[in-house]
Amino acid sequence: MTTSRTLAGALGVLLLAGGAPAWANHRPNNEALVGGAISQTGRYAEPAGRQVNSIKLWVDEVNARGGLLGHRVRLILLDDKSDTQSAIKLYEKLITEDKVDLVLGPYSSGITEAVANVTERYKMPFVAYGASSSPIWEKGRRYIFNIVAVAEDYQKGAVHLAKQIGVKKAAVIGEDSLFPRQSGKGAKDWAKQLGIDIVVEENYPQKQTDFTALLQKIKAAGAEAVFSNSYFADAAAQLRQMREQNMNFKLYSSTVGPGLPNFPEQLGSTAEYVLGFSQWEPLPKILKHPGMDEYIAAYEKRFNEKPNYHAGSTYGALQATEAAVKKAGAFDNEKLREAMATIDVQTVFGRYKVNATGMNAAEGLTFQILKGQRRVVWPEKWAEAKPELPMPEWSKR
Amino acid sequence: MERSDVRSLYLLGAFLACAYALPFLVGAWAGTVRADAAWLGILTTVVVSGVMQGGVYAMFAVGLTLIFGVMRIINAAHGEMVMMGAYLTWVSFFYLGVDPLLSLALTLPVAFLFGVAVQKLLLNAAVGAPELTGLLITFGLGLTMIYTVELIFTTDFRTIPYAPGTIQLTSTIAVGRNRMISFAMAVVISLAVYLFLKLTRLGKAVRATALNAEVAMVCGINVRRIYLITTGLAAALAVAGGALVSIQFGFNPETGVVYTLQAFAIVILGGRGNYVGALVGGLMLGVLENLVSLMIPNGTAMVELAAYGLMIFVLLIRPGGLMGVKEG
Repeated sequence: MTTSRTLAGALGVLLLAGGAPAWANHRPNNEALVGGAISQTGRYAEPAGRQVNSIKLWVDEVNARGGLLGHRVRLILLDDKSDTQSAIKLYEKLITEDKVDLVLGPYSSGITEAVANVTERYKMPFVAYGASSSPIWEKGRRYIFNIVAVAEDYQKGAVHLAKQIGVKKAAVIGEDSLFPRQSGKGAKDWAKQLGIDIVVEENYPQKQTDFTALLQKIKAAGAEAVFSNSYFADAAAQLRQMREQNMNFKLYSSTVGPGLPNFPEQLGSTAEYVLGFSQWEPLPKILKHPGMDEYIAAYEKRFNEKPNYHAGSTYGALQATEAAVKKAGAFDNEKLREAMATIDVQTVFGRYKVNATGMNAAEGLTFQILKGQRRVVWPEKWAEAKPELPMPEWSKR
Repeated sequence: MERSDVRSLYLLGAFLACAYALPFLVGAWAGTVRADAAWLGILTTVVVSGVMQGGVYAMFAVGLTLIFGVMRIINAAHGEMVMMGAYLTWVSFFYLGVDPLLSLALTLPVAFLFGVAVQKLLLNAAVGAPELTGLLITFGLGLTMIYTVELIFTTDFRTIPYAPGTIQLTSTIAVGRNRMISFAMAVVISLAVYLFLKLTRLGKAVRATALNAEVAMVCGINVRRIYLITTGLAAALAVAGGALVSIQFGFNPETGVVYTLQAFAIVILGGRGNYVGALVGGLMLGVLENLVSLMIPNGTAMVELAAYGLMIFVLLIRPGGLMGVKEG
């Protein structure tokens, strides 16, 4: 009786140990489990859907190459419904019940930060392709790595271009929430560095639709350029109301809105000459990152559209992850963490090489909407077109 | 008028004078207020824009207050009806190529029928029930509308690039053409509904039902029919508001919530169930928000504080709202 109980106990210990991700080859069919929860429904469904595309593409390619460390990859993709609390629960489930060997990141800075607390507790490392808020990496977390450009750099190109055309006074405005505040802070810092005076700095509530008074205030303060940390609705309203009041600025840039495919289409000529930010564009001839041609062709063939930056950054992060797994040589969390922290690889998204806090040095692109098309205008090494600045007056359009 | 009533009116006047003077005082202290002609031009532009904004807000609010006045139901799906109006206009503009103003001839009857259907299928059950019942039913209706529109149109933002130009009133004051059109339409439609309520037999019946449904019934008014007409009219007002929103702002399926709150605040400010109160409340909020945003440093972040602050103080002085009557 005692013996059998001891034996059972020992067996239990063995089983528990067997559940640890390092033992991937215990699974039937020699599978490695790769899992994540990503917003397939809800308000993030659109950008996150593009990330799901890249994930599926990568999994199929890895399996065609013979899998990860000789294990066939089985993908578990759950839906967090764009909800932080669901994401936390699903990652708990993936790690403790499904016992995945490798976790994939969710979408959005907010959800990623919440999930990072779970992955940190179970020491599961991952490359966060869906998060650009730097505070995530300022809290001493060890198992999360960054690949995309951070919020503070979204206005970097626009501020540099403003400097080039001799702007001396500018305004920084933005929605009153985490991400726009971060990118606004970055814009202010860059302006300070380049000697541009910020004469108005103001945040507005999320529901704000009328910007007439704010724009008049900016004009009265003598600003020549507006760095707007905005999404679609607010950026669109600001531009339209500038035009309504025949208010001319030398430069207007917005962080998120102009990058959405339907922005120029819905706004028509009002969107012309606006600056926007993109993490990446499917332009292999300009960016010259290795493997871009093949990736873009494969993506386009399967999903009937060119990959956008959400897709590109995800694929790049997965390439970096694959390289790290190879270097680690086993599904061992500590070894994998070490590999992710130290490897230096070229991906379709660009170089992946993180610093001591886990941050990559991605640059991102600043584009201008010219004849309804997004054209990269900054940094100069990647510029597709010459920026057309200062923006022509409304009456001349 | 009772003496306490007169006193509260004086108090209200004094408070409003203070509320609207405050942004000027803070602005003078912070150095954002100047006395030259250019600045006065800016101030006028902002006040005019506030009035125009307020006019459109007031139109949403009028629909909300109509349903409340007649049936004591708070329509939590009102903003979603506005959102639906924006999508209807968008579809007729991009797919049928119809001018957003002409499309009203198409969308308003649809909206009226939608309102009638909502009344028949949902709200009739809530008339006379505790106020929470109507609130819950319409809240559910609102959610259903959001997700239905999301299924069809996704969560992408849309807008209509209509009349983008500017109208130069003087050398310093300019107003957007689309904004001017929106305001004019809002005034015409609100006025038409007001005259309908004041002058026509049917309008009088609606008002009689609002005063006392039982007495109205005894007098031979078909109260059920009045309910149908009221909700139909309210839905049409919301959809017309949506059309005016669609040519000024970006919208997606979830923007309706903002408009419900806005309309709700205006209705409470103006006096529940009071048509003129809603119009005045809308204009007052629009102007105050713009003054705060223009003159107070980082004031745009405070427009909600100012709007709801105004609402609370007005209610403290006159619990029934600006034009409301004392209850009980």
